[in-house]
Amino acid sequence: MDRQQEFVLRTVEERDIRFIRLWFTDVLGMLKSVAIAPAELESAFAEGIGFDGSAIEGLTRVYEADMVARPDPTTFQVLPWRGDHQGTARMFCDILTPDGEPSLSDSRNVLKRTLTRASDQGFTFYTHPEVEFYLFEPPTAGGPLVPIDHGGYFDHVARTQGHDFRRAAITMLESMGISVEFSHHEAGPGQNEIDLRYADALTTADNLMTFRTVVKEVALEQGVFASFMPKPLADQPGSGMHTHLSLFEGDRNAFHEPGAQYELSKTARQFIAGLLHHSAEITAVTNQYVNSYKRLWGGAEAPSYICWGHNNRSALVRVPMYKPGKGNSSRVEYRALDTAANPYLAFALMLAAGLKGITEGYELPDATEDDVWELTDAERRALGIKPLPQSLDDAIELMERSELVAETLGEHVFDFVLRNKRQEWAGYSAQVTPFELKRLLQVL
Amino acid sequence: MVSTSRTATLGGRLTRLGFRDVARAIHLCTDKDFTAVVGAVAPDHPVLDALAESADPDLALLALVRLCEAACAEAGAGDPGAEERRTRLATLLTMRDAASQSDAVQVRSRLVSVLGASTALGDELVRHPELLDVVDDVTSGVGVDVRAVRGEMLHAVGADPDADVPVARDAAPATVDAVRRAYRRRLLRIAASDLTSREPLSLLPAVAAAIADLAAGALEAALAVARADVDDHGEGVRLAVLGMGKCGGRELNYVSDVDVIYVVEPRDGYDEDYAITVGTRLASSLARVCAGPSGEPALWPVDAALRPEGKNGPLVRTLSSHVSYYDRWAKTWEFQALLKARHVAGDRELGAAYVDAVTPLVWTAVERDNFVQDSQAMRRRVEDNVPAAEADRQLKLGKGGLRDVEFTVQLLQLVHGRSDPAIRSSNTLTALAALAAAGYVGREHAAQLAVCYRFLRSIEHRIQLVNLRRTHLMPTSEDDLRRLARSVGMRAEGAEGLLARWRTVRRDVRSLHEELFYRPLLPATAQLSAEEASLAPDAARARLAAIGYRDPTGAVRHIAALTDGVSRRAAIQRQLLPVMLGWFAEGSDPDGGLLAFRRLSDELGTTPWYLKLLRDSGSAAFRLAYLLSSSSYVADALGRSPESVTWLADDADLAPRPVARLLVEADAILTRADDPRQAVTLLRALRRRELARIACAELLGVCEPEDAAPGISDAADTVLVGGLRVAQHVVCDEQGHDLARPPAAMSIIAMGRLGGRELGYGSDADVLFVHDATDGADPSVAQTYALAVAQRVRQLLGATGEEPSLEVDADLRPEGRNGPLVRSFDSYAEYYGRWSSPWESQALLRARPVAGDPDLGRRFTALVDPLRYPQGGLDPATVREIRRIKARVEAERLPRGADPTRHLKLGRGAVTDVEWTVQLLQLEHAAAVPGLRTTGTLAGLRAARDAGLLDASDAETLEIAWQLASNLRDSVVLWSGRAGGATADVLPADRVALAGIARTLHYPPASGSDLEEDYLRAARRARTVMERVFYGEEV
Repeated sequence: MDRQQEFVLRTVEERDIRFIRLWFTDVLGMLKSVAIAPAELESAFAEGIGFDGSAIEGLTRVYEADMVARPDPTTFQVLPWRGDHQGTARMFCDILTPDGEPSLSDSRNVLKRTLTRASDQGFTFYTHPEVEFYLFEPPTAGGPLVPIDHGGYFDHVARTQGHDFRRAAITMLESMGISVEFSHHEAGPGQNEIDLRYADALTTADNLMTFRTVVKEVALEQGVFASFMPKPLADQPGSGMHTHLSLFEGDRNAFHEPGAQYELSKTARQFIAGLLHHSAEITAVTNQYVNSYKRLWGGAEAPSYICWGHNNRSALVRVPMYKPGKGNSSRVEYRALDTAANPYLAFALMLAAGLKGITEGYELPDATEDDVWELTDAERRALGIKPLPQSLDDAIELMERSELVAETLGEHVFDFVLRNKRQEWAGYSAQVTPFELKRLLQVL
Repeated sequence: MVSTSRTATLGGRLTRLGFRDVARAIHLCTDKDFTAVVGAVAPDHPVLDALAESADPDLALLALVRLCEAACAEAGAGDPGAEERRTRLATLLTMRDAASQSDAVQVRSRLVSVLGASTALGDELVRHPELLDVVDDVTSGVGVDVRAVRGEMLHAVGADPDADVPVARDAAPATVDAVRRAYRRRLLRIAASDLTSREPLSLLPAVAAAIADLAAGALEAALAVARADVDDHGEGVRLAVLGMGKCGGRELNYVSDVDVIYVVEPRDGYDEDYAITVGTRLASSLARVCAGPSGEPALWPVDAALRPEGKNGPLVRTLSSHVSYYDRWAKTWEFQALLKARHVAGDRELGAAYVDAVTPLVWTAVERDNFVQDSQAMRRRVEDNVPAAEADRQLKLGKGGLRDVEFTVQLLQLVHGRSDPAIRSSNTLTALAALAAAGYVGREHAAQLAVCYRFLRSIEHRIQLVNLRRTHLMPTSEDDLRRLARSVGMRAEGAEGLLARWRTVRRDVRSLHEELFYRPLLPATAQLSAEEASLAPDAARARLAAIGYRDPTGAVRHIAALTDGVSRRAAIQRQLLPVMLGWFAEGSDPDGGLLAFRRLSDELGTTPWYLKLLRDSGSAAFRLAYLLSSSSYVADALGRSPESVTWLADDADLAPRPVARLLVEADAILTRADDPRQAVTLLRALRRRELARIACAELLGVCEPEDAAPGISDAADTVLVGGLRVAQHVVCDEQGHDLARPPAAMSIIAMGRLGGRELGYGSDADVLFVHDATDGADPSVAQTYALAVAQRVRQLLGATGEEPSLEVDADLRPEGRNGPLVRSFDSYAEYYGRWSSPWESQALLRARPVAGDPDLGRRFTALVDPLRYPQGGLDPATVREIRRIKARVEAERLPRGADPTRHLKLGRGAVTDVEWTVQLLQLEHAAAVPGLRTTGTLAGLRAARDAGLLDASDAETLEIAWQLASNLRDSVVLWSGRAGGATADVLPADRVALAGIARTLHYPPASGSDLEEDYLRAARRARTVMERVFYGEEV
């Protein structure tokens, strides 16, 4: 048994933990959980816990129902909302096939594989997400959604639930070892943003899974209701997850080059070029729901066009203002991603796209200084600025033809995501929406 | 002129004595300090004879001259000891009368041997002339009590060897240097004994043990220094250093990393955290004493990478933490490494406790899951892990290297040590002797392997001694090789002889591995001589299980059956079987392979050629073992026609036979036979034989999978030709026609994959029957006759019988199953002229006359050409219709529940997708592009590419997918031995099946997932191309 596992066993004993939840993520990014008793822990470490994977979205091929979840002891964490006494803890799991190979359909494994590819080239990949979400009054059956306040960007709204909410959520996150950088009220009513501190991509993805759970739990405690839906309110800004990305070579930020334009190294420029080049084909994963596209094309700060800029808040990729003397903070911000994505798959694809730019030596197009939304279609065409997919349907079609996505996800996950998304689109298209009824029912 | 003649004589003398660079040697002989010590060097000066004894007289002379310079310089400084040394040197080098002073002769011999074998030790002597004492004192450096060595090393740092926890006087740089000087001093003594030994190979184990003991002493001294560096001397922590690898086996090299593991425990009154913290400090400081920068050169890196979790794990652990790690997490190789663990320094009781604790784990490792796979993977790493540039020079890695010997011994220990403590030694040679003594391996073979090992190690030692560098590479320069040969007592053989012997040894190590491992599996009744071992049944089963046999009991039975008895046959089997057992174990189904081999041998054992062939042609035996254990299809086929084994000796016999030759053979069969059934049985046997031949060739890589399909088709063609002739004969008889003037000429037109010469092992033959009434014959008589012939062909070839049938399928005929089985030429002409639908034109793309009247065949081709190669291509409505049919086929033909991504024929991007794409291009463009008028899919695909109808990369994508899907369909049959059935066209999901199929396609072992991923990717890409090209979907 290694040290981490010993630590887990000891902690479980010392803190009188009664349940250990084993967490894993299905291909769509939904958190799955199975609870085991402390007595099972040793065998869970040694052999994993068997379960029927066929019931879980995308986890298995139909004929291979048995799967094994093996907890990763480095992710052990006591869950604070279950109380200190006789508490509950959780660990993330790797999914294995019965013969002990990493499962090809485990999205955590997809990210691990891609990170290994990066480390073969000498890189470690760091991410830093800014998570937006809405807080609503508890929904009543059929009633409209009521945000908990009417604040705007950075507003200090006195004595509202939102305030308490953020404090409680951050306290809880910190107590779970997840560092929070920043939190504030966002532009929409009841909309909040919490920024996680940068960490390596696997940790960040694990943290995001935890984050969503924590936010939901705290909301329940406070008598409100939290949602990460990308666009819950038609006339208000959507919730995105702008994510800052950086590559390190050892201790050195590989994106930073003193004296270069925007202090951006060649590696960084090629990485951005890769991200831009492949951004359309990875959109079905970074923005995976029908609803995601209502945020992407809903105006405001949403990045709908494939271009980059230095501090340009309308561009898809933004290079934040460089702070002198902070070479290691060089990074690029990818603005399309939303909180509803499966973070493991999304990070894997963004990394793969960037790496492709580096290995193939893509040329970075010129930066865009204008507000892309203000340009006319003809101007954008003239500048060579293409749009991101307009709908999930468009995105699926682009992904279908993408070798990059297929190779990164592996044939199984690739196939599953496509099938699942096609179903979603078909289901959506079959709807008769209130919009249509209102417009047409009377007049036709 | 006096001086000239003197020089010439000295030169001649030096040449005779074996100096290489005589001019330089002459120059050195006149060196001022050298002559000051030894006097003028005349040709008969005794120093020259002494030098000639050394491995490299040139090197020895140079070092001696430098030593004299150093001695003179030192004496000039007025040190009385130095003056004494100079005098002693002079006495040694100038004494003549050998007999009266044997001690002094021995000293002189030690001096020149060291100087002639090691530049590094020569430099050390020049730097520290006081080391001459070591040379002067002829006490042997090997066979010294380990406690004495430990005491010597501890004294050097001012520590008390009798103390419970020895602590050095301080940790100052001077003390660190003292450890290193003491180490080198003793190393010089060991080298002097080693280099003057008459039989270096015999002395080798003792030398290696002495070096290991010295390393242990150095570690002990380094630990004492490390303790001196800690305020309270780390008194609260017990620390034991376990030697691993060669250090643990007490068989260390002159220069090698020293592998260790550290165990710590707190003493009473201290807690575990303290023990870990201080223990870590001691361990890192110990490593620094041995290898950190200092005034004296470093000893060797102390490598703790074998510890739990490797380089990422904590440097030191408590005993219980070690044990719980090994209990749960350790991998097979870690146990193999632990086999060597031995206490070498620090707390003795703790070290012993560690060894006691891990011993049971080591000896039950063989019971762990994956032991077989792990050990096979380890073996491959041993064999393959050699940089290409070094492959010819490696002593340690690669096949036949030192690691190979060690691996063989350790694997045997792990397999049998579970039940037998007598063979658990951590020392390679001791373990080997114990294995032989306990009867697990043959004595003779064990002794031979021991000699090989000693030889390789001696060479390695001599190479390392030169510069005291860690290297395992054979030198390349002539001078180096010559020195090496002389230093291991191969003076007469020289460089050439040395290399020749080395090559032999490497080969021997390989074959001895087989002998040691597999020969003792033969039962006692099969023993050839008392020198050979035979395992008890339990031990034999354990060994078979360890190399991958899933049913060891059955295997033991088969081995006994094959080798029992006094017949010549059993005697040859005893020669053959051991190595074949190893080859079966490398295949995907060792048990199946052995069983098939037994069947074959039962069948053929008494034939004169069978065993002789296997014994005399190594490649035939290997190929047979590989085929039998990788392919059930071939195992079955060879069982049916054992004589096919002869092919394995010669690639020419394995090449698919040209169709012309097959037709001649068929003709001979028909001419000979009087009974139609008999004739058909012979034809079917011919086809079965050709299929077996092609399967063997394909699996052995003699022919490419692409060449297999035409061969399989040729065999079917031949059977159809013969079958038609027999049927005509029979029907003429029955209906009273004159065989020379039958009422109708007949022809068989191949369709589908047969038409394209793309048949697989399990495919049916798709055909059309056509006849044409002979002049003057009644059309209805002709039709009756032709129908009877066609029915008879299908019945003769398709009926079950002793030889495999060929299903003849005529469903592609006009009106399908509702239409008449045979039509006349005119009827075809009328039908195709009036009714033909697009799918029929498409099917006719594959039409190829194979049997019967050649003229009728040609006329038929001419008839259908305008249909299949329509002038002006296809109109849009027809294209639409073909696409619609394809779309419906996709929806309807796929078996219920089949996963479209895995169906090799009808699935996404599989065979059918590619073929329809090519066929559509053919229908559209063949009239204009003659190259497209072909029945072959790949030929059509390449023609379309060459004509610019398909872009090169699309063509490649389609070709790769089609070829891989076709190969997989064949491989499924080859691996499983089952043709047809619901699963035949599906890529299996089962891991074992996938791995087996991957082996038949020449993937490395355990690559089932790679194969799966490769196919899914190839098919997905092909589908994308197909959707664009065939369905015309815009992107």
